[in-house]
Amino acid sequence: MTIQGYWAFVNWDDDPATLFYTCLHRSNLVIKRVTSKRVTSGATKKMSRGQSSRTCVGKYELGRTLGEGTFAKVKFARNTQNGEAVAIKIIDRDKVLRHKMADQIKTEIKSMKLIKHPNVVQLHEVLASRTKIYMVIDFVDGGELFDKIVKQRHLTEDEARKYFQQLIDAIDYCHSRGVYHRDLKPENLLLDSHGVLKVSDFGLSALAYVREDGLLRTACGTPNYVAPEVLSDKGYDGRASDIWSCGVILFVLLAGYLPFEAAYLPDLYKKIHSAKFKSPHWFSSDVKMLIHQILDPNPKTRINIEQIKDDNWFRKNYQPPNFGKDKDVNLDDIDAIFENPEENLVTERRGRPEPMNAFSLISRSEGLNLDNLFEKQMKGLIKRETRFTSKCPPDEIMTKIEEAAAPLGFNAQKRNYKMKLKGDKSGRKGHLSVATELFEVAPSVHIVELRKTSGDTLEFHTFYNSFKEGLKDVVWKAEAITEEKDEAQASTPITEKKDRHQTSH
Amino acid sequence: MGCMNSKSFKHTPGYEEPSVLASETSFSVNEVEALYELFKKLSHSIFKDGLIHKEELQLALFRNSNRKNLFADRIFDLFDLKRNGVIEFGEFVRSLNIFHPDTPKLEKINFAFRLYDLRNTGFIEREELKEMVLALLNESDISLSDDMVESIVYKTFEQADSNGDGKIDLEEWKEFASQNPALLKNMTLPYLKDITMAFPSFVMKSEIEEDDL
Repeated sequence: MTIQGYWAFVNWDDDPATLFYTCLHRSNLVIKRVTSKRVTSGATKKMSRGQSSRTCVGKYELGRTLGEGTFAKVKFARNTQNGEAVAIKIIDRDKVLRHKMADQIKTEIKSMKLIKHPNVVQLHEVLASRTKIYMVIDFVDGGELFDKIVKQRHLTEDEARKYFQQLIDAIDYCHSRGVYHRDLKPENLLLDSHGVLKVSDFGLSALAYVREDGLLRTACGTPNYVAPEVLSDKGYDGRASDIWSCGVILFVLLAGYLPFEAAYLPDLYKKIHSAKFKSPHWFSSDVKMLIHQILDPNPKTRINIEQIKDDNWFRKNYQPPNFGKDKDVNLDDIDAIFENPEENLVTERRGRPEPMNAFSLISRSEGLNLDNLFEKQMKGLIKRETRFTSKCPPDEIMTKIEEAAAPLGFNAQKRNYKMKLKGDKSGRKGHLSVATELFEVAPSVHIVELRKTSGDTLEFHTFYNSFKEGLKDVVWKAEAITEEKDEAQASTPITEKKDRHQTSH
Repeated sequence: MGCMNSKSFKHTPGYEEPSVLASETSFSVNEVEALYELFKKLSHSIFKDGLIHKEELQLALFRNSNRKNLFADRIFDLFDLKRNGVIEFGEFVRSLNIFHPDTPKLEKINFAFRLYDLRNTGFIEREELKEMVLALLNESDISLSDDMVESIVYKTFEQADSNGDGKIDLEEWKEFASQNPALLKNMTLPYLKDITMAFPSFVMKSEIEEDDL
């Protein structure tokens, strides 16, 4: 493919010079916008010479450079196996070693791995050679949210709310996985071709604060989006400080300028510490109130995510994030059974539950469950399914399941000895839905299996633990469904001061 | 290449080049390097000799190195291709490849058959199946009367032993497994596709040249 071939993918902006600056991750890696002039440099030039010299990394065919920085270069690439467009962050291994960032990079890859959310740029894969590290991430081609502000001066409340809701959904999800952004600002907020917000560089904060000269620095040279407690160099709560940054972002979206600004850095710090800002006259009183609750200099009294989600201004026209069904969950026949809505109405049960054959039974041995080899090592890996055995009659078990699920806000659809439980409240990843099936091992022993079919796995665990309480009388033996969190993301989200200093003056 | 020599003492006995293993399996070279990170952890959990011993497998599967389990024994025996009582790195990668989502179903069916053919006779016999059912019930703390266990085995043979000769051969197993795809669920590990992100330590150790990626 020639350069022209690549241009076909280019989504021309009004201004060709700002071409493809969309998926630049320049903020944290100090990557600079690449203008159209540079297209003839490096690998791109190589490609234009013909097929043979095309640069490939594994199954990815590298394209033009999207951004460049001291630590990394971001290139467009195409997965040759499925044609998917991706962006690849290319990091120099020597530089990482020289700055003793190896451990940070490893930790951050692990935490990014946990994040799969429609509003967060996802890490797909990591490749490495003797000299380079390649991080394969989503290619996002709708520009930066910031460009919109530049063009429109400021957004309407409805528009700003739409993005703010997606931002909060993304932050909430990541925080629930113990991952904090620590460098939220408009440049990290990208839009895809459908205008959906994608937060980039989650979990990559380590890369953000080290310069080529090894000095630690604040993002972008100015700490306009940084919470006061972060500036004051004490340990801080990653949750609260991310929320602060969201407040600054909301302000900027609506006002078109920063709430805290000063030509001289110490003045800026002063303003941030006292949280002194003035909202423009076009802010509604509702949004003013919300912003004031967010830009509270005391992280302990600052509004939290749940409270934001309950806020009147926030809730208007709220649409939960759009998740597909979990791709890798095998639904077997459960869904087929519920496909015909009329049949769902059938409530009486006929016959007996499905008897489990011997092979089906033995295939459930923990000794054959090699996931366990990974589970201990991959701490973030969590079970999506579980089971328990019961000595009660099958009809009683089914009734009890329904009764236990109802107070938790779950509706049951049932068909013979299969049941689908659906949460009526939308969670972090949409409605939680659980498929259950009852099997007969022997007339006196039944196994009930529960599988999460959609929704958030952590919410599934919370559900299951309360659900099991309600089933006390029927459960004979239950499998443990323990949550093992990485120590690095232990329950307390306090981040020790380590990677954040300011270059004051 | 000068670095070749340094490699040999750095790696454990039974180490094989990632590029060789990648060419024989569904794994990429980087994925094999990431698997090596997992292998090192597993093979150093007790004996620290870079070979996976049975106790180390039991520890990984059950968080208990003393927990004997018929199925874990079978997995160990089948992974130990050279039958020398330990799992070497090459054996580990080649065996895990069976569990790769991209591996053809037939290979998974064959592996499961060998797993359940406890005495390696080429047939799954009634006694073997009963032994496995008892092991599973024991593992799950479920006690059933002997009659009930017999009845489970009997019913299963009615379905699987289509020629009625009292043992299940490979052809019968293929047929039965195809009709009951859920039986092979544990033969696929979706996590194998995420292995590079789960064991990212390899990024600082990769020995692959750019062109070989």
